[in-house]
Amino acid sequence: MIPELLFLFDLMAMFAIYLILNLSLCLEFGYGGIPDFGKVLFVAGGAFVVGGFTGRFASWLMGIIGYDYIRSNALVIFMINTRLSSDVWTSLVIFVPSILFAVVAGGLLGYLASFPAIRLREDYLGMTLLSMGEVAKVIAHNYPDLVGGSLGVQVPDPLAWAGEWRFALASVVILAFAGLVWLYVDKVGHSPLGRTLRAIRDNETTAESLGKNVSDYRMRTLVVSSAIAALCGGLYAFYTCGVVATTYSRMWWTFWPWLMVMLGGASSSKGVLVGTLISTSTIKLINVFKDSLQPFIPFDVVWAESMLIGATMILVLIKRPGGIFPEEPQVTSGMLRTNQTNGTGESKGS
Amino acid sequence: MLDPLVRDALLYGNLLSLMSLGLTLTYITSKVPNFAHSSFVTIGAYVSLAIASVLGMNPYVGLPFAFLIGGLASVAVYAFAMKPIAKRGGSLVHLMMATLAAEVVFSGILNAFADYLRESFKVYSRAFTLRDLDFTFLDLPGVFVVSYLLCGVLFVSLFLILTKTRFGVAMRATVENPPLASVLGVNTDLVYTVSWFISGGLAGVSGALLPFWIQTSPNTADVYLLSIFCASVLGGLGSFAGAIAGGLVLGVGEILITSFLVGVFGYWVVPYRPAIPLIVMSLILLLMPEGIVGKLQGQAKRRA
Repeated sequence: MIPELLFLFDLMAMFAIYLILNLSLCLEFGYGGIPDFGKVLFVAGGAFVVGGFTGRFASWLMGIIGYDYIRSNALVIFMINTRLSSDVWTSLVIFVPSILFAVVAGGLLGYLASFPAIRLREDYLGMTLLSMGEVAKVIAHNYPDLVGGSLGVQVPDPLAWAGEWRFALASVVILAFAGLVWLYVDKVGHSPLGRTLRAIRDNETTAESLGKNVSDYRMRTLVVSSAIAALCGGLYAFYTCGVVATTYSRMWWTFWPWLMVMLGGASSSKGVLVGTLISTSTIKLINVFKDSLQPFIPFDVVWAESMLIGATMILVLIKRPGGIFPEEPQVTSGMLRTNQTNGTGESKGS
Repeated sequence: MLDPLVRDALLYGNLLSLMSLGLTLTYITSKVPNFAHSSFVTIGAYVSLAIASVLGMNPYVGLPFAFLIGGLASVAVYAFAMKPIAKRGGSLVHLMMATLAAEVVFSGILNAFADYLRESFKVYSRAFTLRDLDFTFLDLPGVFVVSYLLCGVLFVSLFLILTKTRFGVAMRATVENPPLASVLGVNTDLVYTVSWFISGGLAGVSGALLPFWIQTSPNTADVYLLSIFCASVLGGLGSFAGAIAGGLVLGVGEILITSFLVGVFGYWVVPYRPAIPLIVMSLILLLMPEGIVGKLQGQAKRRA
């Protein structure tokens, strides 16, 4: 395949993967007001399920036994992939339960995280979630049976049968998932549930006085959004055909999503879409031109990148705290606007 | 004299006290949990390294510089991020996010500085230690003595500043009610700037002492961010004495519990040490969230 086309498909996959993650952030922070600074935990959760479970499941299914999965990982995965490259149905049988398992695991992690989190004010909430994300990294690093510790594991490739078009097809599949998640989050945004979440976000006490069970809503939001984040992690693991614990850093899976969401507009599904598109294209373009800058600076160009990213985030927060698409008064599906004085936003119910 | 394990635990607890003292200070004044706090710690460590390896001086000479540069970095966070965002009506989450962004910027700068030291001065700028340059005092490593002295001196002077000086009164007034304080002629902006400066300075000093004890890299303090927050939460995030106590209890506890667990389960538990502050923090927040939150509820509305 020509390199330009490959670049486009790679960009598409990255866009779709981050779109899924950012939509989960939109759901919990944009709508629900939960400052999830531990996003990386849930992404890693999904990825680690795929890294730890899929290969074992596939080798059990195919009767490849008698190997240490972690130590002879490359060999086992090679044998699995050889079989998968000619067997579409087995690929599907491996892919579907793995992704389901990843999503369920993400939901469970979200449920666990909600225990200390739901009753707290946003600053404590942020601290707790950030801490959880850090600990996820520690565990993955030091528990080799899960995903091979710092060496990582390979993941069976359920699209091995597509041959040369494997990356293109993978991008399309991930984009399809992203589309579904977008529809869901957009729908929630316009539903009574979305209104309740916004009410809780804007004034917890008022929402509680109207009979809304705040901690229950928060717990459910965390569970659903964590499940979506785990879906993102699982798909990413499948896309890259591998899981290395060090890849799941706070920078890439907590900070970047926050930057994208803040850039586009955290409370609008449209904003998240645009923010993700702008950011992922920029990252990909920077990656192309990065190496040509190296001779001009006395340190690794990666560090210049992180200075730039951090500064961009602060700039966005100062200049456009609401993002490109700030929140507009929402119209719930099937309901007429009653408060005409409040804002000028057009009706955008579905 | 002292058992090395107990000594290590006490030293770590003390460094943690210094770090959470600074964090608590910014939290009390600005009501923002500062996620960039660990960066100031690492900045202090690199000031020590630069003094020792580039200038060839005793790294203890660098302590005032570590205070100064850590403080300036902290003031930069306040002036270029906190203040403009708060002025535009940014929410608490925006402010927290900005401190996370500042942490990313600082990690870039620190790594670049480490690269620069390595390329220009041929210094081991990652995983470095200054242990060989330390002195011993009564069989104790110098860093142990110095850190306890420093912690005492800094705590007492902070206490004196807050209770005995006009500026301290202005500071406490700003903590209680910023609009009212500014109406009465208190320069609240100056108060915030100074408190961020002291906070960063305290972190810088604790960081300057860090390489005397463990190997330090640009991301070393990231691991401690968890412990710093846990220690501060343990101390109630409301008082300096609480921060000191929280730091000591958590630091000593973290090391002693780990060594106890090593005795029971074996050495594989050591890397999981960061889980201890997480569990402790979750337990405190689960079992007595009102105890801590309730105390600050009145102040919750009045953020920087």
